[in-house]
Amino acid sequence: MGRRNRDRRERRPQRAKTVLHAHGEAGRGGSFRCAGCRLEVPVHAPGTAHRNHCPHCLTSLHVDLRIPGDRAADCRGPMAAVGLAGRADGEWMLVHRCARCGGLSGNRVAGDDNARALVRLAVRPLAGAPSGFASVAREALVRL
Amino acid sequence: MSTTEPSPALRTSAFTCVRCGLTVSALGPDGRGRGHCPSCLSSLHTADRVGGGPSDCLGRMVPVSISVPRGGAWVLIHRCTRCAALAEAPVAADDNHLVLMRIAVRPLADPPFPLDLFGEV
Repeated sequence: MGRRNRDRRERRPQRAKTVLHAHGEAGRGGSFRCAGCRLEVPVHAPGTAHRNHCPHCLTSLHVDLRIPGDRAADCRGPMAAVGLAGRADGEWMLVHRCARCGGLSGNRVAGDDNARALVRLAVRPLAGAPSGFASVAREALVRL
Repeated sequence: MSTTEPSPALRTSAFTCVRCGLTVSALGPDGRGRGHCPSCLSSLHTADRVGGGPSDCLGRMVPVSISVPRGGAWVLIHRCTRCAALAEAPVAADDNHLVLMRIAVRPLADPPFPLDLFGEV
């Protein structure tokens, strides 16, 4: 938890895994291969019980349909991280968009996620903003 | 009758925002249908993205994030306050810039790790 987030309200406990996950997802070695950058990723992540995206390129896989962890989607397309949402408790939430079907999902960031990739994602709206927005963005960033 | 021209019923219709109560015309300034209130950017959960077709949730959807696809135009991402479903909608020309900017800088204003070190990397 960050320095500034100590006095925030308690968050909901994480969901338990109710569905048996497929064998290939986390093989015998307890790791999976990223769909985006082919990095071998261990399943155990610091700060979260559910590793659902690659810590290096933040790519995920479209396996859940409505509830996180239900493994009900048969799309299995790669999901690229498209946005960041700041939650009320000060934590960042990654928004993934499926490259195959356009489905959206929100995932918590893990403790070992690539900070450079996260910040790149966070500043992307400000970098691509129309010229009128640029001065406002700079002012907002200076005030941080 | 051409298909590009919106029907007169759509051109004159309006809806009331569920959050701020503003009466909003159903068509945006660019002639496309409007999904969210231009003042507070709130929306209504009427379409089911996962299953397709209409949704029976009808919860209020708040804007949580902005994504920038390859074209460079901003896309607003809404989250339903009732069922936590996500939806995306393109940003219209008359959407409130102050609220859009607030959503865009919100992750940077409250980072989970110190951003001071990024000047040196």
